[in-house]
Amino acid sequence: MAEPYLVVEHLTKVYERGHVVALKDVSFEVQKGEFLVIIGLSGSGKSTLLRCINRLIEPTKGRIFIDGVEITKLSPRQMRKFRRKIGMIFQHFNLIKRATVMTNVLTGRLGYNPTWMTLLGIFPRSDRELALKNLERVGLLEKAYVRADELSGGQQQRVGIARALMQEPELLLADEPVSALDPATSHSVMQYIEQMNREDGVTVLASLHFLSLARRYGTRIIALKDGELVFDGAPEEIDDRKFKEIYGEEAEEVEIR
Amino acid sequence: MLSGYPEAYLKERPRWMSLDAVADFFYFGFRNLRKYLSIVLLDMGAIGILWLLMNYVIIRLSTGRIGYALVPWWVFGLGVVEAAALWESFGRSFGHRVARVELRRTDGGEPTATQRILHWLLWHVSVLPIFPLLFIPSPHERVSGLELRPFTMEGRTPKPWWRTSTGIYVAWLTGVALLAAISVTVSWEDLVRLFTKAGTTAKFWRSFFSPDTSIILKTIRDLIVTVFMAMTATSFAVLVAVPLSFLAARNLMRGVVGRLIYTVIRGMMSIIRSIEPVVWAIFFLVWVRVDLTPFAGVLALFVHSVSDLTKLYAERLESIDPGLIEAIAATGANRLQILRYAVIPQIVNPYISFTLYRWDINIRMATVVGVVGGGGIGQALFFYLTGNLWRQAGTVMLFIIALVWAIDYLSARLRAKLA
Repeated sequence: MAEPYLVVEHLTKVYERGHVVALKDVSFEVQKGEFLVIIGLSGSGKSTLLRCINRLIEPTKGRIFIDGVEITKLSPRQMRKFRRKIGMIFQHFNLIKRATVMTNVLTGRLGYNPTWMTLLGIFPRSDRELALKNLERVGLLEKAYVRADELSGGQQQRVGIARALMQEPELLLADEPVSALDPATSHSVMQYIEQMNREDGVTVLASLHFLSLARRYGTRIIALKDGELVFDGAPEEIDDRKFKEIYGEEAEEVEIR
Repeated sequence: MLSGYPEAYLKERPRWMSLDAVADFFYFGFRNLRKYLSIVLLDMGAIGILWLLMNYVIIRLSTGRIGYALVPWWVFGLGVVEAAALWESFGRSFGHRVARVELRRTDGGEPTATQRILHWLLWHVSVLPIFPLLFIPSPHERVSGLELRPFTMEGRTPKPWWRTSTGIYVAWLTGVALLAAISVTVSWEDLVRLFTKAGTTAKFWRSFFSPDTSIILKTIRDLIVTVFMAMTATSFAVLVAVPLSFLAARNLMRGVVGRLIYTVIRGMMSIIRSIEPVVWAIFFLVWVRVDLTPFAGVLALFVHSVSDLTKLYAERLESIDPGLIEAIAATGANRLQILRYAVIPQIVNPYISFTLYRWDINIRMATVVGVVGGGGIGQALFFYLTGNLWRQAGTVMLFIIALVWAIDYLSARLRAKLA
């Protein structure tokens, strides 16, 4: 097998002098082009894991390699530069609510442009054209100059995807991208992510609440429980027993179509 | 079992005499100490204040004099300590309520009478010398088998407030404080005068409704000066308060140095704010007085506005959504870019809104500052009032009312637009 794209080795994150252990010795590998879904209960460490991978949260122990680079060793400055290759989308979209969709999408290029220009709000013509292209791709071209908070939840998440696309990423981290959306919109958003994965070859790490979504879109699933890796395998391998192990005895599987 | 320790610490105890063990002892010990002391101090304060107020009311009502001490000070001190010990051992004290805890057995059950008595006796050995509180569990808890547990209503029926010790305490305190407050501020003679001497103000009201039209132009000029004073003070205050607010926001000032700067600035601001603009005006009049110019008044408003705006701005900064900061940081943006695209969009409108609000306050304050000689319309009002020129004073007041009403309305409308 080829060299894995992402390697996580013995990743541990401890908050508050040992009071809260968010991740306990998590190790796994991801091949280029995989669509890896992370499942687990709320508070099981999914968000912390994703944020450790682009070091929005500093890991306490362990090493992370992306494309052969040990990112846990990078200086803050080098890390900022490296983050350009890692797109991220969020549960609550995290858009600039008062700014236009266009501005929001252009923020995806902040890492590529000189600071003084971006501070004045100037972006090169090529970036603006790329923004329009990406907005067209997520079906929001006619909303380009509408304020972001005037859009519906699903549309806002698509702006989030366009923002990530602007980075021309190799890796996409999606932190519960559809938890705040209704089932119908969820699928439309997931399909855009799937498209990025299939057509642009972007490796995707997505945390999801619903197992049915995880089975439908994931090429591989890992499960966290209380910060520990309790499952790593193909979607079909999660049977009733495994499910109860991950989600607890009383859990019932809910279908989302 | 042992509350306050992390699980890992119990499973694998650090080797004794290792630096970690010593650090953990002090870290958890001080947290424990802080928890107990805050509860004890609250209880002692609560009991002490009630006792002093009761003394005050009793002495005042029985002898008419002012006094606070029915017993010697050392009896008072011991009494407060003892009352706190009893309250915390045999009931759910005020401090327990504030901290949302209650005294239970370590297995969660209702304490027995023996345990409560033990707890109360050992409380003196454990809490009074303070040092034993560094141990977890503290000696009085270790021996009595009781501990402070988070309070929960699970499986219980609520008691009405008059059956709880804290409820009775608060009702009693409110009653006594009200009695004391009335006895300080109102006397029988005052009341008699209030209802019999209304006629003496007739002259004032008559002149108020017959304005002196000859001073209208001069009054309008003073009015404009007042508005300008507020504008100058507010504008320069904004220039200073905006950068200061970033240093006074808890979420942006991390680390030891950051926290120090935060504390110093916040402390300074609250000291400055607690001194009224009128007092600042007198201070600056002594300093820069140049023959009744409004400059001293402007300085007074400026200083007060800086401290007020810094606080308002900083609080707004503290409540910004960290999600957007994450999102912008995730694109590879640097600090300045995060500031420009994640922080500023969230604060611009609230900042403008606060500034307008402060400008509106400053106009009202400017009239007051003028009274001590700070310039503007307040100074004119003061001049007429001290000269017994009632008609002119009435005219000026009509203009002040009109201005304040108009500015109030304008700034409210603008702020509604921004929201």
